[in-house]
Amino acid sequence: MMPTFKKILFNLFAWSIVLAVAFPLFWMLVTSVKPGFELFRRPPTILPETWTLEHYWKLLSETNFLIYFRNSIILSTATTLVVVAVATLGAFSLVRFKYRGRESLAFLVLFTYLLPSVVLIIPLYLLMVGLGLSNTIFSLVIAYTTFALPYALWLLRSFMAGIPEDLESAALCDGATRMGAFRDVILPQLLPGIISTALFTFILSWNEYLYALVLVNSDASRPLTTGVMNMLISSFNIEWSLLMAASVMMSVPLIIVFAFLQSYLTRGFGAGGVKG
Amino acid sequence: MSTQKTLLERRYATLGMALIAPTVLIFCAVIVYPLFSAIYLSFYSVFTPTLEGEWVGLSNYSELLQTGRFWNALGNTLIWTIGSLFLQIILGIGIALVLHQNIWFRSLARSLILFPYFISTVVAVLVWKWLFNDLYGILNHLLMKVGIIEFPMDFLGTMPNAMISVILVGAWKYFPFVVIAVLARLQSIPESLYEAAKIDGAGPVARFFDVTLPQLRDVLVVIIMLRAIWDFKEFDMIYLLTGGGPLDDTQTLPLLVYQEAFALNDMGMASAYAVVMMLIMLVFMLVYIRRTKDDGGV
Repeated sequence: MMPTFKKILFNLFAWSIVLAVAFPLFWMLVTSVKPGFELFRRPPTILPETWTLEHYWKLLSETNFLIYFRNSIILSTATTLVVVAVATLGAFSLVRFKYRGRESLAFLVLFTYLLPSVVLIIPLYLLMVGLGLSNTIFSLVIAYTTFALPYALWLLRSFMAGIPEDLESAALCDGATRMGAFRDVILPQLLPGIISTALFTFILSWNEYLYALVLVNSDASRPLTTGVMNMLISSFNIEWSLLMAASVMMSVPLIIVFAFLQSYLTRGFGAGGVKG
Repeated sequence: MSTQKTLLERRYATLGMALIAPTVLIFCAVIVYPLFSAIYLSFYSVFTPTLEGEWVGLSNYSELLQTGRFWNALGNTLIWTIGSLFLQIILGIGIALVLHQNIWFRSLARSLILFPYFISTVVAVLVWKWLFNDLYGILNHLLMKVGIIEFPMDFLGTMPNAMISVILVGAWKYFPFVVIAVLARLQSIPESLYEAAKIDGAGPVARFFDVTLPQLRDVLVVIIMLRAIWDFKEFDMIYLLTGGGPLDDTQTLPLLVYQEAFALNDMGMASAYAVVMMLIMLVFMLVYIRRTKDDGGV
């Protein structure tokens, strides 16, 4: 009898911690479906008495949210495609080839992976103004490669190092070229690593704030992070339900990743920061 | 035979360099060039709206060391980094130990714990601002109901509340990183070590300090270094929560760089701040890189 009781007690303890950590997210969801008047009820209702989707409707029909959303999709997808393509070739080169300067390059990658964005932001701003690219989504794609490329290279390098070399050697003995072996032998084995790197890169770009704040100052090319924050700053009286609805919508891609592709996230964690 | 081999090796080396070429080009254009440009700019005084600059030599640096703003920001950065990192590590290890047990719906619990780490800082800040709201925020309501406070509290507008709030939100957002890393390591500790400790009569607490903690040591060192670097350069969360206020009491170095460049309009001075900040971080970065190298990384 005693062990079961202890087990139940431990489970209650564990789950109350988990729920406390998750509470802000639960509260965001609840606030987004409460009608305006219920928000100011004292004491607050934990579950809404009446459910409404009016805030979501307002968000989509009366604000620039959809434009920001589209911009974020374009921006994050473009950054991910460029970065993953370049980094896959780069990681292949860093791990499987020998040439002068390779070690220092690997060092440079790790160094830039840790470099703070604020150091690069001023010269990048000047560069974009000089090139006439400021206020474009393209300028953000360029800026995002500064953190996404070292990151993707670092992850892919460690995935690549985990692939055994003998299969590649066997293919080379059978007369395959290096690039042929890369395509037929390495790429299929690297695929899970590529997916997880792409997911991480996408999430990083989706969540980025500082470069978007500095480089883009027009609603036409603003991504979600600065766009939604502007809805808070520029509003005369703050509509919290609307902002919570925006927060939920902004997290939708993430929820999809969590629901279906979570194993790739954990894998990336293992390969990236932690194992180093 | 040997010449043929070197020929092949040489061709491979060329191919290898061709494959890394796009990376090198992008690195030079968007990282190396801006990096040197930042150092170069720090010797100028640049008025942001017109972008006109004049050479001032080292005067930005001497001004930086003499005025209080830099030291204030450095102090705040250290308080934020150490406070938040400490909580992240404690929470992270604690919750990893809990999740390591066989609790109900373990994978759901793990997802819920992980989620704050992956959401955008903008979302985290909006939610917490709503929780912190002085009139209708749930936190004030709960604290008053329990009787800890009598009147609604100003979480972000007064000191030391603002710094504590920022540290707490930072801990909430970033501790899942520690959980994942520690959890992965916990799963690889051999069960036999615990059994041996049990036979020697060690209780759960002794087993944690004698078996678990020494086994976690290496991974903890890596986590602490990485998180220290990342917390030190954190901009979004602090900027969005307090904007550095009240007054300059939560202004950290990254915020100072931004403010100097885009609100006070001196990009030269801002670059000097950024360069000094980078030099401070360089110490951590080199230690981390060296360690990675020793582990057979790089």
